[in-house]
Amino acid sequence: MHLKPAERDPASQPRFYSALLALFILWPLFQAAEVSPGALFDPSNLKVIGSFLSGFLPPERGSEFLGYLGKATLETLAIATAGMALAGLLALPLAYLASAAGREKPTLNPLIRSLLTILRGVPELVWALVFVRVFGLGPAAGVLALGLTYGGMLAKVYAEILESVDAAPARALRLNGASRPLAILYGVIPQVSKELASYTVYRWECAVRASVVMGFVGAGGLGQLMDQAMKMFNGGEAASILITFLLLVFVADLISSGLRRSLDQAPPPSAAPFGPGSTGLLAIFVAAVTASFWFLDIGFGALFTLESASSINQFIGSFFPPDLSAAWLRKVAQGVWETLAISAVGTLFAALAGLLLAQARPRLLFNFIFNALRSVPELVWATITALSVGLGPFAGVLALALHTTGVLGRLYAEALDNAPAAPGRALRLSGVPSGLAFLYGTLPGAAPQLIAYTLYRWEMNIRMAAILGFVGAGGLGQLLYFELSLFHYAQASTVIIAMLLLSIAVDQTSAWLRRRMA
Amino acid sequence: MSFALNGVGLTHANGFVALDGITLQADQGEHIALIGPSGAGKTSLISLLGTALAPSSGQVSILDFGQNTASTAALKRLRARIGTVHQAPPIPGRQRVITAVLAGRLGQWPVWKSLASLFYPLDIPGAREALARLDLADKIFQRCDQLSGGQLQRVGIARVLYQQADLILADEPVSALDPVLAQSSLQRLIDDAASRGATLVASLHAVDLALNSFPRIVGIKAGRIAFDLPASSVSEAMLHELYASEGQILPTQSNEACFTPQAASTPPLRSACT
Repeated sequence: MHLKPAERDPASQPRFYSALLALFILWPLFQAAEVSPGALFDPSNLKVIGSFLSGFLPPERGSEFLGYLGKATLETLAIATAGMALAGLLALPLAYLASAAGREKPTLNPLIRSLLTILRGVPELVWALVFVRVFGLGPAAGVLALGLTYGGMLAKVYAEILESVDAAPARALRLNGASRPLAILYGVIPQVSKELASYTVYRWECAVRASVVMGFVGAGGLGQLMDQAMKMFNGGEAASILITFLLLVFVADLISSGLRRSLDQAPPPSAAPFGPGSTGLLAIFVAAVTASFWFLDIGFGALFTLESASSINQFIGSFFPPDLSAAWLRKVAQGVWETLAISAVGTLFAALAGLLLAQARPRLLFNFIFNALRSVPELVWATITALSVGLGPFAGVLALALHTTGVLGRLYAEALDNAPAAPGRALRLSGVPSGLAFLYGTLPGAAPQLIAYTLYRWEMNIRMAAILGFVGAGGLGQLLYFELSLFHYAQASTVIIAMLLLSIAVDQTSAWLRRRMA
Repeated sequence: MSFALNGVGLTHANGFVALDGITLQADQGEHIALIGPSGAGKTSLISLLGTALAPSSGQVSILDFGQNTASTAALKRLRARIGTVHQAPPIPGRQRVITAVLAGRLGQWPVWKSLASLFYPLDIPGAREALARLDLADKIFQRCDQLSGGQLQRVGIARVLYQQADLILADEPVSALDPVLAQSSLQRLIDDAASRGATLVASLHAVDLALNSFPRIVGIKAGRIAFDLPASSVSEAMLHELYASEGQILPTQSNEACFTPQAASTPPLRSACT
């Protein structure tokens, strides 16, 4: 049917081409991610996952196993806490050096900034995998890995928080002759202390989740237990561990939000700036960090002997020069592409599922489902999806999709609640079915927020997709794991550099996108 | 000699000429009021005296320091002797009044004392005394975001009183205060400077306040000094000439000061009600 130009929707042509372009991009991505829904219903796969899942009930409750579980849970908490303490120790001086706060001429320190980029650009699990080879199996590798990555992250965010507030108080103090550290302490910190503490607590919560999976590369904690259970197809133990994950993440969430709420109360007027509450918190904090290091019993002394220094030196030396041969670079490029594909397709699936479930009722039930989905780390999901569809990128796609559905579902539901209600209500009142009223009335109002959440999550998923391969779910991680197992350090080094570049590229692109949208 | 500016010019990066050919000297202990229409360069001049800005041309010497020769450490020592009252008090909202006042001496205190005062204020009597002079002693342990704008501005003044600077600079120090409080707060600053022999330079928008309280008046217009005279020699015509760009009415403290009963308790205003 040909319409006269005047009657044709002027938007139709761009829309048609955008759809075509999307297909053109998505098709090879789906190919690279090896999306094959058939594998989910393959009889032999069904049998494996079926027998595994049927073993879930009843969850293992043997007293010996529960003993292991309790110890692993404590170890996970201790790794997170000790790692955060280390990260904080690293972050404070680096943030001070990197930040423009308190400087009379706002200059940034490019050297420190690039060091921070490298520290947080390499995923903590990669650091852990590498450290396990230096310090042996055990929590020391996990603590150090968390310390480095989170140190880089904290330092960057601290520096930015310090720069984000009114600079006049610190400038005025400098003009009274105060040095830069004092000008920051008296002029900037009072403005940002709440935000700094709140972000640190939030990061601790993330560290708990991160240290859960450290065990998959042999760095102790719950992950190690889960890895063993999966390898022995012990569904009962896996179920108990998953329930523990849920509880642990839930409790960390609770502690974190409780701590952050307590920062809101103004202190009573008295000579000492800290009330008994904050003094108590400080004591608990010191006790927790001390207990963590004591519990983990990391021989840091042994780590810093001359002997270990030379072996570390030698180890680092074996990573250089990286293998830059054309054949290997081609393979790494393929890994990068596969990683991108896994992240894009997984996020797409999660966005669709999240959007559907975000409106499902009863809300309480679905909130519980979202929380359960997101409390299990992607890497743990990957070990389970690998059982049901076999090793390879599709397992990674499903794992990302499951975890991200939990995250996005909750965010979407909140965004839709906050979207203007009037347009949808007006449509429903004029007899429009609620599904259509949603599409015509509610969705347009919430769309920018939904898109922003999805893009932000995709950004995180690219990083995550790079390491899912550690449990056999494709992408760069699989290459890295493989080469490290074979002691091919030159090749591994190329993969790590590729991960770093990918992470920097994602950072730059999203910063650029945000600037353009703002 | 407290400070000496010789042919000083200040051109901002965007090419705007804020000050041009300023020559101004003050002996130690002098009290000077800067007046002039907004945008004339009063704040720029104060920033220059406070070493916040470096001149684009000419020579500056402050408290016997030539600005160009000062090393970082010497500049810091110099700055510790200069106290500035800012128009918008540069105090973090979540900071407590006591800490904000003690911050005035960060440039003089040893580092350990500055650090320790974050945990427990080490000079409560000193800060209380400075605050008491501005009727704020009861607010000493309150947080600054619980104060009104006028109270916060007086905390800024208390900080400078506490600092005991040799050169006090004040940029519209009482702009957020009602006329009665403005007069008395300014008087505290003047009394403090007089008792310690410190030099005081204040920019004021209210002409009557300047003429009543300061012996020496410097009028600034378009980045240049229009006149530099004893207060008694400043004529009505000169003031109208100075404020020509702002219309026929001279900026004074709001007129109700003349009619409210409280005004009786303050010194009679000379030109406010003419």
